[in-house]
Amino acid sequence: MDKIILKITRSGGKHVSYEVKHRKGMTVLDALTEVRERQDSSLGFRHSCRMGICGSCGMTIEGLPMLACQTQVSSLNTQTISIEPLHNMVVIRDLVVDILPFFDLHRSVRPYLIRNDVSERDHSDREYRVLAEEVAKFLQFDYCIMCALCYAACPTVALDPLYTGPQAVAQAYRYMADPRDEGWETRVNLLDTSHGVWRCHMAGACSFVCPKDVDPAKAVQLARMELLKKRILRKRGREGSKLVSPPVTGAAKEGVKPPPFDFGGVKK
Amino acid sequence: MKRDQRFKSGLVPSLNPARYNLERWSYTVHRVTGVILVGYLVAHIFETFQLTGGASAWANTMSALHSLGPMEMVGLWLVAGSALYHGGNGIRLILNEAFGLFMGKPILPVYPYSPTSLGKNQRAAVWIITALVLALWIWAGLYLLAGLGVI
Repeated sequence: MDKIILKITRSGGKHVSYEVKHRKGMTVLDALTEVRERQDSSLGFRHSCRMGICGSCGMTIEGLPMLACQTQVSSLNTQTISIEPLHNMVVIRDLVVDILPFFDLHRSVRPYLIRNDVSERDHSDREYRVLAEEVAKFLQFDYCIMCALCYAACPTVALDPLYTGPQAVAQAYRYMADPRDEGWETRVNLLDTSHGVWRCHMAGACSFVCPKDVDPAKAVQLARMELLKKRILRKRGREGSKLVSPPVTGAAKEGVKPPPFDFGGVKK
Repeated sequence: MKRDQRFKSGLVPSLNPARYNLERWSYTVHRVTGVILVGYLVAHIFETFQLTGGASAWANTMSALHSLGPMEMVGLWLVAGSALYHGGNGIRLILNEAFGLFMGKPILPVYPYSPTSLGKNQRAAVWIITALVLALWIWAGLYLLAGLGVI
């Protein structure tokens, strides 16, 4: 395969084809960049890190939501590659979609540790205890890069624009499973709505397209089980894990006060 | 109602499982069979409502239905298949959603990624249900053909 043809759905729904010389190891993002640099500088698409970390270059490639930087042209086994914007989102220009509604849904589930005593959380010189087996319950969902591929793939989102969506539910569950968090009840109430977690029909498309194996479908079902515990077993929110002293250093052993906790180099 | 301005959103894209996973195909069949069952329910209520018009109204309804010939049986066969698939797949979904069966536990993702919620247990559940439904649907077809006196 010497040459490939990119068939791109641009603003207004028109299809424009570009021919690009194929080289070994070329990704779809490489091909798009080549088109913009050498053929059509007006082509709009979003990208940043080029290594599957930032989640900016999500687009529909050959009918499936994918990261353009992670998709090798040769893996698609076709000479003509169809590229569209992500589904279920409003197109701003060409392949650039409005991602703000998606981020709003993410924010709506309060994706951060909620503590009853805020001062303890914000001005502490000690740390919360989390055991390795407790981390294992939520670490997988922590790998989300917010690329919105799951959101674009979800058939429920296609039907219900108010649905919380697989990404946001997965992030809600990530914090519900965190022993440091005390916002279990708050998040359960946020998800327990007609547009919340009950809308999922377990099509599994979100997990199928996730580039980081966050497995949102699993998180949604786990969140749903938490909601059932609340409704049937009358489960209540729990107290978060307690603050513990930092590891005892040699200086502390000798009765010397340990230095203030280092918050990434910034002394409190 | 405000027009949905999102790209490829709405009913038709939501029912298109092309290039997606097995469970996504199962979702589409589940939705379509659900609509067939709702249609049948409405028609069935309308049919039995004719009883309120007396014996002659009922006889007229029955003769109208029988005048459809083999199409009546084809319709019933479709309804039987829909009920079987919707029920069988519904049981799988309840096991998924209420008990977390076939979903797997949270894991540490290791490349090449393979989500456990769509793993071999889930696929096996889908295929077993599909095979059972097909077997029972064929049996239902034979039963209906026997009712027609064809076999």
